[in-house]
Amino acid sequence: MSEGVPQNAGYLVAAYIVVPVILLAYAASLYRRSTRS
Amino acid sequence: MRELLGQAWTVARKDLVLEFRTRTALLSAVVFTALVLTVFNFGRDPTAVATIDLAPSILWVTFTFAAMLALNRAFQLELENGALEGLLVSPLSRHSLYLGKLLANLGFVGVVEAVGLPLFVLFFNVPVAPVLLPLIGVIALATVGFVSVGTLFSAMVVRTRFAELMLPVLLLPFLLLPLTYAVQATARLLAGRPLSEVSGWLKLLAAYDLVFVTVALLLFPHTVDE
Amino acid sequence: MSLAQKGRRVVLAGLVLLGGVYVRALAFTPVERFQGPAQKIFYLHVPAAVTTELAVILVGLASVFFLFLKDPRLDRFAEASAEVGTVFAAIVLTTGPIWGKPIWGTWWTWDARLTSTLFLFFLLIGYHVLRGAVTDAGLRARYAAVLGICAVVLVGFIHMSVYLFPTLHPQPIVLRPAKPGVPPEMLVTLLLSFGVFLVLYVGFVMQRYAIAQQREGAASDV
Repeated sequence: MSEGVPQNAGYLVAAYIVVPVILLAYAASLYRRSTRS
Repeated sequence: MRELLGQAWTVARKDLVLEFRTRTALLSAVVFTALVLTVFNFGRDPTAVATIDLAPSILWVTFTFAAMLALNRAFQLELENGALEGLLVSPLSRHSLYLGKLLANLGFVGVVEAVGLPLFVLFFNVPVAPVLLPLIGVIALATVGFVSVGTLFSAMVVRTRFAELMLPVLLLPFLLLPLTYAVQATARLLAGRPLSEVSGWLKLLAAYDLVFVTVALLLFPHTVDE
Repeated sequence: MSLAQKGRRVVLAGLVLLGGVYVRALAFTPVERFQGPAQKIFYLHVPAAVTTELAVILVGLASVFFLFLKDPRLDRFAEASAEVGTVFAAIVLTTGPIWGKPIWGTWWTWDARLTSTLFLFFLLIGYHVLRGAVTDAGLRARYAAVLGICAVVLVGFIHMSVYLFPTLHPQPIVLRPAKPGVPPEMLVTLLLSFGVFLVLYVGFVMQRYAIAQQREGAASDV
């Protein structure tokens, strides 16, 4: 069953990291903008 | 209905008369179109890519530029001397104002395209004659598509900062769609495909025009009223 | 608790739940036979795409209601939803290519989902640019509403055209895992992920709305 399954977990990791990075960056941006002034 | 069209024609005629009287904008648009076509002509390597493959895209990029030029100046006339307020205070309906502007812009772009198409045929040696009528149909439909949304947006953009930059930015997605349909249809026409293959794209263009002229007509009053 | 603080709590909850989805997707959902582990990107990519569409539809609705009712709260909501939509669109447009490369062999493809999200992204950028370029608040709200409505009509038109003229549009020539007949564990993971993205959407919109309120110096009316 594990034969023939493509070994592309690297892409999986990349995507699963990119998403929270974007979300956290946006959350940080919102925080900064709301505590300013 | 008759009054709507009558008023629209009045507005359109005023704009068109002004354009033809001064001729500067029209002339620069025509010259620009010729220039773009020439650049494309010299920029390509006919041994590398067949002209016929590039031709539809070249034609449509040129026409899109022409439409943008027309739209940029669409409401600039009114900006000076508070002419827009004057128009709004008059008994002219907002919808007529939109239709009139639409017609005037179509006239302007139409003239530029009428010069551009023969130049295009001349430079690129494309077999347009057998498909001239459907091709003109495609050009007409796509132009209405560009100009319908463009007229609406140019009314808004004229009162913003960086108006000339804003218009292309806002308009881009709304141009891409009719542009794609037009290029597809043109490519098939020039390749001599049967009309049945082109009709789908024509229908899409017509549908786009119907939808967006209506939407723009309905929304236009909100761009000029308080 | 202010709106912004509540929003932050919701986002925090959403991020924790996202962690839960991660665990479920990575450890408790089967690996797809033909696509391999990279297929699991789908559990983030698709919900993000749906949330982006939702955000834009809400911008459109708020815009229509605003033009009729002239209530500035609708305008503020549209502003918030548009910005949050842009963030989710960015997620779609980054996860898409990362998924596409191993599966389709190419970073970009003009399939229905990526293309319409790209359109949405351009439309949303235009929306923000327009808002930034108009100094008068009333004018800005009206112009943004006009653009918002045009944007939704455009996206609706694109969807309808694909539906009505399917033969004209290329479909991706690859297995599409998002069809029924998908094993139930995958479906459940997908649905859970939808829920989490919705929670994140709500939390972000709350915060962004609060910022818009703040900016107009309004008292905390919601």
